[in-house]
Amino acid sequence: MRACAKTNWRCLAFLLLGLAVLGQAAADFKVADVQPKFADQALVLSGNIDLGLSSQVEEALSKGIPLEVIIEVRLYQYRRFLWDKQVATWTLHRSIQYHALSGQYLVSAGDPGSETRESLLTQQEALKSLGSLNDLRLTLTNVAPADNYSVDVRASLDIEALPTPLRPVAYTSFAWHLNSGWTTWKVAR
Amino acid sequence: MESGALKSGAGAPRERTEGWNRYVTRYVTGVTPLAVLSLLLIAAFIMMNAAAQNSALFGRLYSVLLLVNILGVVLLLALILLNLFHLLEQYRARVTGTRLTVRLLVMFVVLAVVPVSVVFFFSIQALNRGIDNWFDVRIERALDDALLLGRTALDALKQDLVKNTQTMAGEIETISVTRKIGGPRSELSLLNALREQYAITELTLFTQDGKIVASSSDASLDTGTLLPDRPNDAILAQVRQGLVYANLDAIGRSGLQLRVVVPVHPREVGAPNRALQALQALPPRYAKLGESVQSAFADYEKLVYLRGPLKFGFTLTLSLIALLTLLIAVWAAIFSARRLAAPIRELAEGTRAVAQGDYQKQLPVTSHDEIGILVESFNDMTRRIHRAQSQSKRSQQEAEIQRAYLETVLGHLSSGVLTFNQRLMLRTHNPAASHILGVELKAGERKPLAWLAERYPLLQPFTESIAQATAAGDSEWRTQIELPANNHSRTLMVRGTLLPSWRGKRGGYVVVFDDITTLIQAQRNAAWGEVARRMAHEIKNPLTPIQLSAERIRHKYLRQVEEEERGALDRATRTIIEQVEALKSMVNDFSEYARSAQLRSRPVDLNDLIRDVVELYKNERGLAAAGVVPLHGVAGRTGRKTPRPVATRLELDADLPVVSADPGRLRQVLHNLLLNARDALATTPKPVIRVSTRTVTENLHRFVELKVQDNGPGFPEAMLGRLYEPYVTSKERGTGLGLAIVKRIVEEHGGTTHAENLKEGGACVTIRLPVGEAALAEAPLHKPVHAETKA
Repeated sequence: MRACAKTNWRCLAFLLLGLAVLGQAAADFKVADVQPKFADQALVLSGNIDLGLSSQVEEALSKGIPLEVIIEVRLYQYRRFLWDKQVATWTLHRSIQYHALSGQYLVSAGDPGSETRESLLTQQEALKSLGSLNDLRLTLTNVAPADNYSVDVRASLDIEALPTPLRPVAYTSFAWHLNSGWTTWKVAR
Repeated sequence: MESGALKSGAGAPRERTEGWNRYVTRYVTGVTPLAVLSLLLIAAFIMMNAAAQNSALFGRLYSVLLLVNILGVVLLLALILLNLFHLLEQYRARVTGTRLTVRLLVMFVVLAVVPVSVVFFFSIQALNRGIDNWFDVRIERALDDALLLGRTALDALKQDLVKNTQTMAGEIETISVTRKIGGPRSELSLLNALREQYAITELTLFTQDGKIVASSSDASLDTGTLLPDRPNDAILAQVRQGLVYANLDAIGRSGLQLRVVVPVHPREVGAPNRALQALQALPPRYAKLGESVQSAFADYEKLVYLRGPLKFGFTLTLSLIALLTLLIAVWAAIFSARRLAAPIRELAEGTRAVAQGDYQKQLPVTSHDEIGILVESFNDMTRRIHRAQSQSKRSQQEAEIQRAYLETVLGHLSSGVLTFNQRLMLRTHNPAASHILGVELKAGERKPLAWLAERYPLLQPFTESIAQATAAGDSEWRTQIELPANNHSRTLMVRGTLLPSWRGKRGGYVVVFDDITTLIQAQRNAAWGEVARRMAHEIKNPLTPIQLSAERIRHKYLRQVEEEERGALDRATRTIIEQVEALKSMVNDFSEYARSAQLRSRPVDLNDLIRDVVELYKNERGLAAAGVVPLHGVAGRTGRKTPRPVATRLELDADLPVVSADPGRLRQVLHNLLLNARDALATTPKPVIRVSTRTVTENLHRFVELKVQDNGPGFPEAMLGRLYEPYVTSKERGTGLGLAIVKRIVEEHGGTTHAENLKEGGACVTIRLPVGEAALAEAPLHKPVHAETKA
């Protein structure tokens, strides 16, 4: 709801895109649950994002193509008479790659503060790990906790991170347009 | 584009349209935007090609470049379509040169499209085949086998590690039972011992919920962290169920490691289960080979998967390049066709302008090739035509002037001039010709001579003489003809000349003629005057002796003869004397007529003169009857008294200016006119003579006009034309010199005489005398009396 209030041109574009890929809605990203809270000069996010891959993307992943997922986080300060003020933004790049020799999926979360790399046996586990937000700390300055804040989260597949030859295909195919769209979550006090 | 008659109100939109057109021509269909766009696109394609080959610099920009290129191609396509549309509009409007442009364009496009299409088709084929050639089933199998071999080798290592780990777990179970008091510390030392014994990289003991009990790691191994590696929850859960976890982990930068987690069952009842994790880094040789196999396999798999997209990408790039090449070729075709057709179009427009009469058209010479030479020749031609045309115009003007000059001269010539062509058709005539011939010659223009003769029968002698003379073929001829007029004939002197021939054709004729009636009349008058003078001289001399002799005979013998013979003698002598008297009078008239002009001019008031003469007649009569002036014949002229009362009315203009004249001669004129009138009234029941004067201004000349009218029978019709000739008379005993003398005297005074019959009956003689400047200079002698005399 708040997301629409903060409409920008991208919102409309993704809405149209969303309608277009309605047929593939089952295989799409979805921000299932996010619990933001402030803690000591940081915004801490917990929750998980469902990262459903379409068959084409799954196939590409299984063939060793690394995928990159972008998680965008925007912190807004609520204002009564004006539109909400954007306080901070973060962009998290997480990637997943199949390791053929070990038969595992390698998930690397380039989250600020925690550079981790995990090897997971199944794709499902790997995707779950990729979409999980385990007390993710996003550093922050100048926040007045008395005010009302909200967080917008969006997860999408980064086509630009794909190998060059794949990009035209990805751009022209709806199967590659995986995007959760913006979701808004209230920051707990 | 528009109908010529655009109103002023429509001017602004029209200008706007023209401005828009100019704008379109300059910025949309012009050369510059297309050239710039083409160059940019070529640059973008070069970069895109580099990007497709995984260049680091352009790799990130690949999508942007692709988008830019697609947009650029679309824009270029739009520009070209606009150009083509523009051209099509011109083609429909039949603008000169468009057909040629379109033909050239089609030719260029065909020339460009066919090779590009062929190259494109074979390139795509070659590209696809080339990419397919990268892949080989045997290589694929070899890689699979290599991977399998690697996995098998690693599995063997793994199994060893599992066995060792399970052995170690058994030892830990024992130790924990025997050395319970030692606690974690003793476990740590055991772990250290076991690790060293089995050459394990890292050995860690966990509780069931994942808490570290003890850990031992190879200090030489740089793991980058002090914390032991913790298995994830899934592994721990597996271990809790009593299962063994063994797997090869790929860890970040440190390469591959074997991870084995086994449950540790305590010997003591009730003691919690624990988990032992052994991490064994692969031997460097294994690690290197394994990584190599992994990366090669991954790359090959990736490549196999990307075969389709790669083909798509290359095909897309190639298609875009081919499209760009085509579009640039089309654009170049449009440009070249325009460029080539432009001078030809200008030439076509130029020739059209020349055809419409614009001979000043000059075309710009833009090139020095054959077309340039053609343009120069065209310019030279129009220059020459213009020069020739202005020259012909000038000579036409000169001819016009010459013609006007000739017309003026002919128009003011008193001689009649007619020209005929070689077939005797009337070509030109002057006003004098119409005037002399008394017909309207305008109707006869371009008509044959016979037509004139037929239309105007009176001209027959004239036309016949011309026809005869031309038939004779003389180059020059002259003849005198009599032309019958109403009551008299006119004499014309006709001269003809053959006009010079031109281009072997016979020339026409020019006929010049004059009315010489007056001249002949004058000659005749002069001859008559001479005769009269001689006759008067010859006859007058013997008359006086005859009269005197008769009087002497009468005087001497009248009383001497017998009574009975006296009467006879008396009658005879009287007759002689009377007849001699009459003869004398006649001779006097002759001599008067023949007398040469010796005018003694002085200013004369005509009104006074008229009154004098009329008064004289009144006094002569002696019998005054109110309102009636009985004029009677001059004694001895007719030989008998005619006491008929004739009323004389004077209508004299009181403002009549004086004229310079000989009063004696004028008196003679009045006398003759009054006598004529009186004689004419001999048989009229109520005879009236009206004498009037007035001033007339004609053609800037002032005249004094005198009119003498009577109400008698008028002049006989047959005589009207010859009234002024001597010896033309209707009277029994008249000499016919009266009017001749009048005319002569008036002409001596520079005046004119005109005689006519009035419509209401009676004759009228009008005399006009000029009012000379000298006479005008003197004070007017008029009296302010309206001289209506009824004497």
